[in-house]
Amino acid sequence: MRRQEDKGRSQEVQLLLAERPRNRFVRGSLYLLLALIMVSWTFGDLQVDELFSTHRLRNLNRFLSEVRPFPLHGKEWDWGVALSWAQEIFKREGLEATLSTLGISVVAILLAGFFGSLMALPAARNLACSEPFLPEIRPPPLRARVFYALLAPVTRFALILLRAIPEYIWAFILLAVMGPSAWPAIVALAIHNTGILGRLQAETVENVNPNPLSALRGLGGKRSQLAAVGLLPLLLPRGLLYLFYRWETCVREATVLGMLGFSSLGFWITDARARLQYDRFLFFVLLGAAVVLIGDFISAFLRRIVRKA
Amino acid sequence: MKGTSLELDGVSVQYGNTTALEAVSLSISAGERVGLVGPSGSGKTTLLRLLNGSVLPDQGDVHVSGSPLYTLSRTDLRRVRASIGFVYQDHRLVPNLQVSQNVIAGQLGRVSLLKSLRMMLFPSRVMVEKAHEILCRVGIGEKLFERTDHLSGGQQQRVAIARALFQEPQVLLADEPVSSVDPARAKDAVELLTRISREENLTLVMSLHNLDLAREYCERLIGLRRGRIVFDEPTSSIQESHFSELYRIGEGEMLADGA
Amino acid sequence: MILCLMIAFVWAYSHLGLRGEDLHPSSGGLKVLGEFAARALTPALTSEADFVPEGTRPLLYIALSSARTTLFFAAAGMSLGLFLGIVLGFFSSTSWWAGDFGGVRRSSPSRILGRVLFPVLYGGSRVIINLMRSTHEVLWAVLFLTAFGLSNTAAVLAIAIPYGGTLAKIFSEMVDETTREPAHALRGAGASGLQTYSFALVPQALPDMIGYSFYRFECALRSSAILGFFGFPTLGLFIRQSFSSLNYGEVWTFLYVLLGMVLIFDWWSGAVRRRLAP
Repeated sequence: MRRQEDKGRSQEVQLLLAERPRNRFVRGSLYLLLALIMVSWTFGDLQVDELFSTHRLRNLNRFLSEVRPFPLHGKEWDWGVALSWAQEIFKREGLEATLSTLGISVVAILLAGFFGSLMALPAARNLACSEPFLPEIRPPPLRARVFYALLAPVTRFALILLRAIPEYIWAFILLAVMGPSAWPAIVALAIHNTGILGRLQAETVENVNPNPLSALRGLGGKRSQLAAVGLLPLLLPRGLLYLFYRWETCVREATVLGMLGFSSLGFWITDARARLQYDRFLFFVLLGAAVVLIGDFISAFLRRIVRKA
Repeated sequence: MKGTSLELDGVSVQYGNTTALEAVSLSISAGERVGLVGPSGSGKTTLLRLLNGSVLPDQGDVHVSGSPLYTLSRTDLRRVRASIGFVYQDHRLVPNLQVSQNVIAGQLGRVSLLKSLRMMLFPSRVMVEKAHEILCRVGIGEKLFERTDHLSGGQQQRVAIARALFQEPQVLLADEPVSSVDPARAKDAVELLTRISREENLTLVMSLHNLDLAREYCERLIGLRRGRIVFDEPTSSIQESHFSELYRIGEGEMLADGA
Repeated sequence: MILCLMIAFVWAYSHLGLRGEDLHPSSGGLKVLGEFAARALTPALTSEADFVPEGTRPLLYIALSSARTTLFFAAAGMSLGLFLGIVLGFFSSTSWWAGDFGGVRRSSPSRILGRVLFPVLYGGSRVIINLMRSTHEVLWAVLFLTAFGLSNTAAVLAIAIPYGGTLAKIFSEMVDETTREPAHALRGAGASGLQTYSFALVPQALPDMIGYSFYRFECALRSSAILGFFGFPTLGLFIRQSFSSLNYGEVWTFLYVLLGMVLIFDWWSGAVRRRLAP
């Protein structure tokens, strides 16, 4: 009797197991990714063992011996000498490079914030329709229908394209077009981040509570009025959070973009490397890390203020 | 012997400036079904949480089966807790796990980390069938492999009860099992808990603010008011006056009461 | 706040000595732009170089194989980064040892563990992940290049280190921010701290963690392509070469390949995240 019951249960469980809701797509994606990772380690020609070959170690040895500050080559370590050496470089090039790096990132992120917010409006599906926030009473003319059917998808696709190309490649191409100044770096950063901030802002617009806006619209408010009066106050805090969060990345990228020849830290990193001055090279890399950490700190601080307000 | 006795000995609990319980002493013997009644903020939840050692008393001692809860070693405390099932008011299930995993999680207190990994990720057939059996007892066997947050509130509560039962507990504590489900289901839940405790001879302590249900299903009622025991008697000798005493609004405490 | 941002803008603008007219490309720049843009719709299918050395692979072969290398570097770097992220993320998370789970005895040797050892581990791993994150993958790559010379492992490590740090930071935040009630319940049923961490907190954060990992994979693809500019055999290398030899059609070919890969991943990660939503 008992055994009979157990058997019945076991069959029932099997049946439930077969019918259970499964997320095949996610599971398949994970397996595919796992397979990709395994293939890349096996066939990726990653040369892991080659890294420990003798000429690599010789390279490393040379690097390590030359990475000591120049005045200390072949001498005992002395903090005083090392510090005054570092201070010298910082005064001569470091400070200026740090400020340029920050400057580039600030100009770029604010431009991106501006253009990103502008592009977010036509990219938001609840705003970019013929009757935002209200039910359609009469069918709009065909032209308007086609226009609004295309507006959001096209803007979204444009945003994807902007962010799909890495900043570095934008800067590389723009450098050839615009010639050397800080602009190519700024424009490159601004383009990429416009794509990202635009999408994030569009999502905020789509998640906005429609009730106050439909009331405004019902009073006869124009689309632009809706955006200015109804949306802006709602979007600002979140927009600022995203802005500061992306600014962290901008500082990182601004450091690197200098390697193409702008006056940020990256420029001095390549410069030192090209002259085989590994001590200066390491100094600038570390300075870059410090700048990034300071940027992260400022960003976290500002975001906390925005959250509290 | 099945069943575990519970004992509070002069227990006081304070949260900051508010006193949640004050000098409460009581003892519950194995297999008893006890209802805690009283207005909200009277200390029912705190009392229940003392019993499985998730609240520390500021004074006094809690004994489970005679051993004082707060001098036990970490391992012993885990063992005691594993034998006490707790059904929370808000269920406290992991929303995006399968029902079966939530139920099986009831046994975590009895196994090592390594074994629990296998149990949660690749449960044995016996385990799953046992979970199914318990889910059938609470009436939702067919939900075994459903995602927990796709269930209704009442069904989730049943999962929570199933999880507590999967612990193979000796004591069942339930915090307001009726408040988060609709009135029609409220009775079902209380009935389910009492039926199970009777079948398995479990000690059952539940807090209820529905007095009718408390009277119908519990054999002993403890009235709490502002952290003190007002009455503690067998249900048969409870009068209406006991309840009016409990909910009496005293001088100037109309608004001051709360939390 | 807005005012501060405007002041920051003005300061940065003047500090950099920016001039609006510099934004206009020079006539030479315009010519480059025109020629480059003209090829947007006609990417090259065969090599455009005037002189093609004997034995050179066809352009499309180069494009696809460098795309494969880009993908492999990204996948290898990302997998190592994920490993680092999970391990360091565990140590940078507080919820398996701190937090009020109640019922801790008033004095016990394990309290010392909780008071001293775990906070030290936590602080240590926080410092490590911040150091890993503070240097851009390109700079890590250049650092390794300088120290070891050109090696594909350097590219993988350069991606893995900053990505590992970022993943660790985000993972630990995601786990620490999940609702604690289920964890309290399991704790009350006798589960240990590690058990509640693994079966109550991590499962709740897991959809977000998977979604974020997919997104980072897309980023890794871009980073991997960029590393080509520093000599690794990924797409960036060929973009640089073709651009500097003015074969703009080839540049577009490589760009479209990169764009295609990124768009596929963008769609993929979006699809996964949509399906993981409750």
